[in-house]
Amino acid sequence: MTATGHDEDTGPAAEAPASVPPRRLRRRVAAVVSVIGELLITLGLILALFVVYSLWWTNVLADREAHKQGDTVRRNWATTPTGPGALDTKDGIGFLHVPAMKNGEVLVKKGIDPDILNEGVAGYYTEPVKSALPQDKRGNFSLAAHRDGHGAKFHNIDKLKNGDAIVFESKDTWYVYKVYASLDETSKYNVDVLDKVPEESGKRKPGRYITLTTCTPVYTSTYRYIVWGELERTEKVDAKRTPPKELR
Amino acid sequence: MYGWIWRHLPGNAWVKALVSLVLVLAIVYVLFQYVFPWAEPLLPFNDVTVDRGMGAVR
Repeated sequence: MTATGHDEDTGPAAEAPASVPPRRLRRRVAAVVSVIGELLITLGLILALFVVYSLWWTNVLADREAHKQGDTVRRNWATTPTGPGALDTKDGIGFLHVPAMKNGEVLVKKGIDPDILNEGVAGYYTEPVKSALPQDKRGNFSLAAHRDGHGAKFHNIDKLKNGDAIVFESKDTWYVYKVYASLDETSKYNVDVLDKVPEESGKRKPGRYITLTTCTPVYTSTYRYIVWGELERTEKVDAKRTPPKELR
Repeated sequence: MYGWIWRHLPGNAWVKALVSLVLVLAIVYVLFQYVFPWAEPLLPFNDVTVDRGMGAVR
């Protein structure tokens, strides 16, 4: 391709007295330019592959991992006796069901390290503000999960409206929360949203709250998206694990 | 660059094409398995938690 270009160029250039060195120079410049061009194309392809990796492949891996771990938790529930001390936080404490997010069940584990969240689960905060657990009498059950990639468990967090149900399923209890406030954009340093009594949501009295956090806008993490809910009621899990009416 | 690689691959055009395909797949594998998982935490696309700022230094 470049060779024919040069052949055409030699016509007018040949009349110039110092035609040979410029031609060689031009060829060398063309070679360098073409290598740079090919490197740029390669870089573009690698970036495109990175997008594929981030938005698709990490989901495949995370969903596979979350399924495996969720099955383990359910198997443990089925085989171990009920009662205090039966809660095993290592494998996961239960499942989050948010019908409005249309993403099935999300395994909830302890901690918000990337290693944990990358398994396609939601993690409850251990720091900077320690999360309460659903069975606690008072407190804020605060969770984080990915918006995109790695299972993207909170991808549809913006679909949650006030009054929507957030149901947490533990071994023996369904905890039914109702969304009452959300922040569609806040600073990533706003740790007050995790407070026992999240004042930014309008609450002043201690209660049993749930807080979902993830990043926003979609595909970036400039800000954080927050959704708050308050416990409405609990239901005992029956032998057939019949879900509460919000999930039917 | 790619022209140079093509010229230095052994065999006829079919063999060259096959070797190229294997090379491309190997590169994609290395990227997905090692390079991207390493690069991802360094890029600011996937932080979902709130923290006090010091938490960012992990």
